[in-house]
Amino acid sequence: MALIELKDVSKIYGFGDATSVALDEVSLTIEAGEFVAVMGPSGSGKSTLMNVIGMLDRPTIGTYHLGGKKVSRLSANRRAKWRRDRIGFIFQSFNLLPRLTVLDNVSLPLVYKGMSVSRRTHKAWDMLERVGLGQRAFYYPRQLSGGQAQSAAIARALVNEPQIIIADEPTGNLDTASSRLVMELLSEVHASGNTIIFVTHNPELTRYATRVVYMQDGMIVHDEQTELGKVGRYARQVMYTVPVASEDDDLAGVSAMMPVLENRGRAEGKKKSARKRKVAKKKAVKK
Amino acid sequence: MATLRYGNFKMAYDSVRSHKGRSALTMLGIIIGVAAAVLVVCAGQGVKNEIAGRLNGFGRDVMSIQPTGNAPYLTGQDVSIVQKTGGVEEVVPLAHVSGNARGDHMVSDPMVIATTTGFPDMVNQPFMYGGFFDDDTPSVVLGANLARKLYTNTDPSGQTLTWRGQNLVVAGVYSNFNAPPFSLESDFDNSMFVSYDLTQKMSGDSLSVYEILARAGNLAEAAAKVHTNLVLAHGGADDVEVSSALSTADQSDDTIHLITMLVMVAALVALVVGGVGVMNVMLVSVTERMHEIGVRKAIGATNQQIMRQFTAEAFVLSTVGSVVGLILACAGVGLMRLYSSIQAVIVWQVLVVAPVVAIVVGVFFGSIPAVKAAHKDPIDALRGLE
Repeated sequence: MALIELKDVSKIYGFGDATSVALDEVSLTIEAGEFVAVMGPSGSGKSTLMNVIGMLDRPTIGTYHLGGKKVSRLSANRRAKWRRDRIGFIFQSFNLLPRLTVLDNVSLPLVYKGMSVSRRTHKAWDMLERVGLGQRAFYYPRQLSGGQAQSAAIARALVNEPQIIIADEPTGNLDTASSRLVMELLSEVHASGNTIIFVTHNPELTRYATRVVYMQDGMIVHDEQTELGKVGRYARQVMYTVPVASEDDDLAGVSAMMPVLENRGRAEGKKKSARKRKVAKKKAVKK
Repeated sequence: MATLRYGNFKMAYDSVRSHKGRSALTMLGIIIGVAAAVLVVCAGQGVKNEIAGRLNGFGRDVMSIQPTGNAPYLTGQDVSIVQKTGGVEEVVPLAHVSGNARGDHMVSDPMVIATTTGFPDMVNQPFMYGGFFDDDTPSVVLGANLARKLYTNTDPSGQTLTWRGQNLVVAGVYSNFNAPPFSLESDFDNSMFVSYDLTQKMSGDSLSVYEILARAGNLAEAAAKVHTNLVLAHGGADDVEVSSALSTADQSDDTIHLITMLVMVAALVALVVGGVGVMNVMLVSVTERMHEIGVRKAIGATNQQIMRQFTAEAFVLSTVGSVVGLILACAGVGLMRLYSSIQAVIVWQVLVVAPVVAIVVGVFFGSIPAVKAAHKDPIDALRGLE
């Protein structure tokens, strides 16, 4: 029995003229222990898919079975409890509560579970040790680097021992080194048996995944199993903006129709030069 | 569950502390409401006590009989009529007598009141020195102001006073009467009291009784009887007035009650306004913290848990506000006692009721935004949408 089973799930916003289809009859089955990367251009419905799988949102049409139980029509409170017990969220912008210490942030899911102060502090601390933030327990989130903040967020997602970790662009706000740190952490979590689903724009990060799902216009356009350590076959070809020629584009001029891949080429060029600078710096330090 | 509640209060406390300015503004309404309610009730009680004290000083079971007609005085016959009326337990006549008094100094024609030994029981007035006279030795009791005029010594008791050629011993001095007696024209502080029987013997004829005080168990009934009997004795002429402390006290009690009610309404309005203040700030707080609500929901907080958190915050705000208001009010009561003529007293009931009302109002109004927060869609909340 599959852990996650979406069947013909659609999510429709608005009505009448303003209707927009965020998910268009998506069917997706994810087995326990998979490490799934979801790729696709902006507005392709990745986040909506994450929200539906993470039970933050209910599908408009279609059914969702989690662990064999139909959860697509549960009430808000029931879903809150499922989220609390089964699902850990990691966000692009970390979403740590700024007024709580790192330790308090990590133990927050346990608060909602009703665990005693001493037990939850103990657990949260263990989890912080695990992500390498034992020394930062009493810091406030603003005092952490991006990588550390995301590690704390991972600790928070893990503290309730959920089966499923959902990460919506976990490395979106991080530099390369921090991204590596966060992804290594996630693959450790995966190795310990969790199912992880993450959204990314960075094809390199599909190396960590066992499966890559490509989305466009609210549909899954391609779904492949990859070996760990290998970049998904189509990952580099994902178009991050969909080139469409419309009247507006004509008015906007040629630049609006320029293929995105060229832009990507430029971006990579930038990255390379950044790497070069780093290497140069290192050399300077060695001297 | 207990830990969750503790967690709520800790969160609420943290939130209040980290938004000091905003929280202070919220609490201002509650603080002013509680302080106003407590102060006004305490001051009202002080005024009430004072008035009641004045009246009680004269005895609540005492009636006063005064002439109203052409004849300025009552007679000894009237005194005995009152004495014989059913229900009347004790009668004390008050009569004006003239004559110069000489102690260390001379006071010409002071107010001299001839009365009986029952007088002190009727007025319940404490003595500054000594006590009231008895009928065994010819003696006199002085009002505080007159005593000061007559003697250089502060305590004149035991000294001799010459009045109408008689040597009287000063038995005692009354402390200042804070209440005007029934008949306003007699100023007890500037009076001296002499024995009624002695004076009657001296002058030989009936004294000019200007007032009769009478104590009765059933005051209203006895007063009516006394009035009827006196009118009968005067040949049907309605020339006496029978009044009692009770009727006067009842009247002023009604007034005070009315004022207290008014004040209570004002205080209640103040408290409700304070509650609305809590609601406003909580609404702002909920809007500002939409994202936080989203995060909390994403990691598994149920609607009830979010609601409890914000309700706890309203509770903390109103409780802290109430405590500050109480402290201010107590300080206000102290200042009032020191620097104004109102002898405000702390009424413990209002110290309990005002904060309880404030907290109930605060939590009630605070829970409206809390409900709003609780029912936010987690995704909208995460995006920080209103």
